[in-house]
Amino acid sequence: MTSLSDNLLLEQIGQGDVASFEALFHQHYDRVYGLLFRLLGNRDEAEDVTQEVFLKLHDHAFSRRFLQRNREHNIGAWLYRTATNMGYNAIRGRQRRWQRNTLLVPSPEGVPGADKEVEQRERETAVRQTLAKLPERDTQLLLMRQMGFSYAECAEAVGVAPTSVGTLLARAAAAFKEAYEEENGER
Amino acid sequence: MNEEKQLQEVMEQLSVLEPTAADAPRPARQAYAQLQAALQPEPAAERPPWLARLGHWLIGPQRRVATAVSFALVLLIITFSFPTVRAAASDLLSLFRVQKFAAISISPEQLALLQEVADQGMIPGELRIGQEPGRLTPVDSLPEAAKLTGLTAVRTLPTLGEPTEIFISEGGSAEFKVDEASARALLEAANLDPDLLPSGIDGALITIVTFNGVEQRWEDGTTLLQLDSPLVRYPERLDPAVLGEALLQILGLNPLEANRLARQIDWTSTLLLPIPTDMASFEEMTVNGTSGIGLSSLDGNFHALIWQENGRLYLLVAAQTMPELAELANTLE
Repeated sequence: MTSLSDNLLLEQIGQGDVASFEALFHQHYDRVYGLLFRLLGNRDEAEDVTQEVFLKLHDHAFSRRFLQRNREHNIGAWLYRTATNMGYNAIRGRQRRWQRNTLLVPSPEGVPGADKEVEQRERETAVRQTLAKLPERDTQLLLMRQMGFSYAECAEAVGVAPTSVGTLLARAAAAFKEAYEEENGER
Repeated sequence: MNEEKQLQEVMEQLSVLEPTAADAPRPARQAYAQLQAALQPEPAAERPPWLARLGHWLIGPQRRVATAVSFALVLLIITFSFPTVRAAASDLLSLFRVQKFAAISISPEQLALLQEVADQGMIPGELRIGQEPGRLTPVDSLPEAAKLTGLTAVRTLPTLGEPTEIFISEGGSAEFKVDEASARALLEAANLDPDLLPSGIDGALITIVTFNGVEQRWEDGTTLLQLDSPLVRYPERLDPAVLGEALLQILGLNPLEANRLARQIDWTSTLLLPIPTDMASFEEMTVNGTSGIGLSSLDGNFHALIWQENGRLYLLVAAQTMPELAELANTLE
């Protein structure tokens, strides 16, 4: 995840190179959006939060905060950790606005195949609600792994040794399963 | 069930979250264009830039969702340092109004550290902003401004003549529900001792309300803002002095200094203003017989005075020397 090109791009951004920032954006945009969509389940909201994540990246990169504070310049880890945090914040904000159901389960009534659609949405909602109950690190690990990130990439993103990822993932999966069954009465 | 199989099953369950074709984001190029638009300098500030920047630091307004987290930190700083003269109390809640001010320097490095913590989305609880403060609406006259804000006897600076512009500055409100675990995690992320915070603060609900104010501007750039002093309400179990000591450390004071200063400040009557050292310098001033804080931009081009009189908060900004500004403040009628 922390590729040499990321580091080079970051150095160039630190010198004011806008094109390098654009390259960094294109390199990570889809995966940051993918993580946030899985967490939030709403395209508009996921796009908005993705924008906010990259606005922060812009602020950090051009102010050279990465270069000043992080010797490893681990942009990928920073991006996915920030995206997860901001995704959780969005969920909390949504809970506060009592819009959760409206956002997660737009009513498909009157649409052909509505029953199937409702079932699918209910499954998605149940999974997302379960994820929202897990510690952020567990959710981040599970989602990143499901998206195809390697153990090494997961390790970088959550700041643990690569050899610990297997154990942490297993624990996160067990926690997910228990919470899911508790929530949905499948025990 | 073995771990590998269980993980595989969970991965399959999670696969329902994958975006379908209909959920695909707009093309990255388009998203990047939108990002660029968001990064363009905002339209000319409604307030003089220096005042706007200072105001942004102290009270908002916030134009992007992203800054809400920064706002949360600033709000917390203000809230935790707020307490002032007790105006009313019940069994459960304390209610305070600002009466006087104290300023403290915050270094750019410490500010960057707090910003970084905030940027990572770490907030020590849940913030609900009812209304963001600071939006300006022009009005035609001071009587109209008084009528719209409910402020009686709006004061002005007659020596400067009629103001060229008058605005209503909207108040704001926010609630903050403390999450003790997150608050301790934030302290840790800021390289501070998480045990700085007292126990038993989990779930404490803090409310802050700032009121509509009247802002007058004159041709020479002088600006006067007045509004009823903000209100803060929080559970009595929160000890502002203990929180104040933690706050001072968050702002960069070493533990000894924080402890010494925390004992000197009357936390039940003082609003602490954290002033970034790369933005302004400050000095204690006396205005109309009350204590206030004088702030000077580092280039020396702008000075500001902030003080409280009879339950009303005043902010006066002008391109004059500090003594001249204090003299001008004394002509308020």
